[in-house]
Amino acid sequence: MIKFIGVTKYYGTTKALDKVNLEIGQAEFISLVGLSGAGKSTLLKLIIGEEKADEGKILIDNIDIAAIHKSDIPYLRRKIGVVFQDMKLLPKRTAFENVAFAMEVCGLPVQKIQKDVPKILELVGLLHKAANFPDEMSGGEKQRVAIARALAHRPVLLLADEPTGNLDEVNANEVLELLLKINKLGTTVILATHASDLVNKIKRRVITMEDGRITQEQERGKYKL
Amino acid sequence: MLDTTSFIRITKTGFSNFTRNWLLSAAAVLVMTITLIIFAVLALLFSVSNYSVKAIQERVDISVYMKKGLAEDRILDIKRSFEQDPLVREAVYISAQVALEDFRARHSEDRQIISALNEVDENPLLATLRIKARNLEDYPQIAENISSGAQSAFIEKLNYNDNRAVIDRLAKILSIIVSVGVGLVAIFSAIAVLVLFNTLRLTIYNRREEVEIMRLVGATNWYIRGPFVAESIMYSLAATLATAVLLVPIYTKVLPQIAGFVGGPGLSASGLLPIWVLLVGLLAAALVLSIISTLLAIRKYLKI
Repeated sequence: MIKFIGVTKYYGTTKALDKVNLEIGQAEFISLVGLSGAGKSTLLKLIIGEEKADEGKILIDNIDIAAIHKSDIPYLRRKIGVVFQDMKLLPKRTAFENVAFAMEVCGLPVQKIQKDVPKILELVGLLHKAANFPDEMSGGEKQRVAIARALAHRPVLLLADEPTGNLDEVNANEVLELLLKINKLGTTVILATHASDLVNKIKRRVITMEDGRITQEQERGKYKL
Repeated sequence: MLDTTSFIRITKTGFSNFTRNWLLSAAAVLVMTITLIIFAVLALLFSVSNYSVKAIQERVDISVYMKKGLAEDRILDIKRSFEQDPLVREAVYISAQVALEDFRARHSEDRQIISALNEVDENPLLATLRIKARNLEDYPQIAENISSGAQSAFIEKLNYNDNRAVIDRLAKILSIIVSVGVGLVAIFSAIAVLVLFNTLRLTIYNRREEVEIMRLVGATNWYIRGPFVAESIMYSLAATLATAVLLVPIYTKVLPQIAGFVGGPGLSASGLLPIWVLLVGLLAAALVLSIISTLLAIRKYLKI
């Protein structure tokens, strides 16, 4: 589904990614691990077209994303859900409105939004908090709202960049369970994280990065550095 | 590019931003109104002076009095030769007979003059060529060309010098108004763009998270720009309305008096810039300024 072929990315003179080759299949669950600055976030940014590769090719469903016109990038992003450590929720909007926002800005009709948002909130287990503002929710709940928003377009791919970074163990586990559930429903998930205990627990494919290179790939991996 | 649902959402968001940050909006509208008033005053000043120059210009000509007894064919030859001067717009021939009739008609009330005219056997007036220039500034040159030209032997007198100083001064004032006006318009446009640019940058900065999320969830650039453009269109409409409220009384009360004064009796404000043209022009200027400022201000946040 996603192919990186000799991808190199520079920030100024710093090499953030160094000839990365990677293949990710449909409905896989990948843990992308490594220290800060290893290139995990850069890799995710390249997938959503926020940054451009300096060398090499990135194919999503056999489409070279470098060939996608700038004005079509938003449509690529509707196929990809993204979740961040800092959640990026709008504080003045309820859980329902935060999820609805993603659908509104893409021009979906009101009826569809009214119908779909409760379903998505139910999937992340937060239907009872639909009318709550982010300030009235725990860290884990907020992250689940963010995941719900990322799912609003029924993406084929979900990118989670340190989604448990700000959460305690219980909340982190909840978020992880949710990501596994989403994966089970057929969405490819890429989880970039430092959290070794989580990675060890899920026993899925682990890709280890160091200094912009992939240094290790394990099918049922453990977090090793 | 946009469907109706998106258009309504964008307009709504723009409107709620406009009313929610009303202090910021008021500042932007105020600056824009001041700029528009300056535009309007300059446009009016230019229009009034242009109008007065035209009014005076219309009454200005060079009268070339031909020597007595010159055959009409000869005078018409001279007229044609004058008309070959590219500076000359037209030369009108007034025969001595016509001049006399005009004179009689003008002074029909004045018995003394009429009886004095009746005393004289022959027509005391001379045939005249009345010359109008294409441009006000060209009169001295035309006068010079005529009095030093080949036809000067047939010319009795050239009446022009009287108005020269007034015309010169008016032409100078007009060209000063134009250059100062263009300069002021440029300066105030720049100030307005800067203030609007910064106002909009503030509103965009306030909502940078929203913009970032919009990008992440796949909103198109036009959808993201939309509410800000809508907001600045509202600034433009409000500022134009405020300017109109100030301008209309000036237009309907004050201007006709000025026009009457400058143009003399029988001339009205109709020769001036019509108010709807002015207001449409101001609205267009406001829209151009505000949309340019918005697109500049948001560019930074639209990096793909």
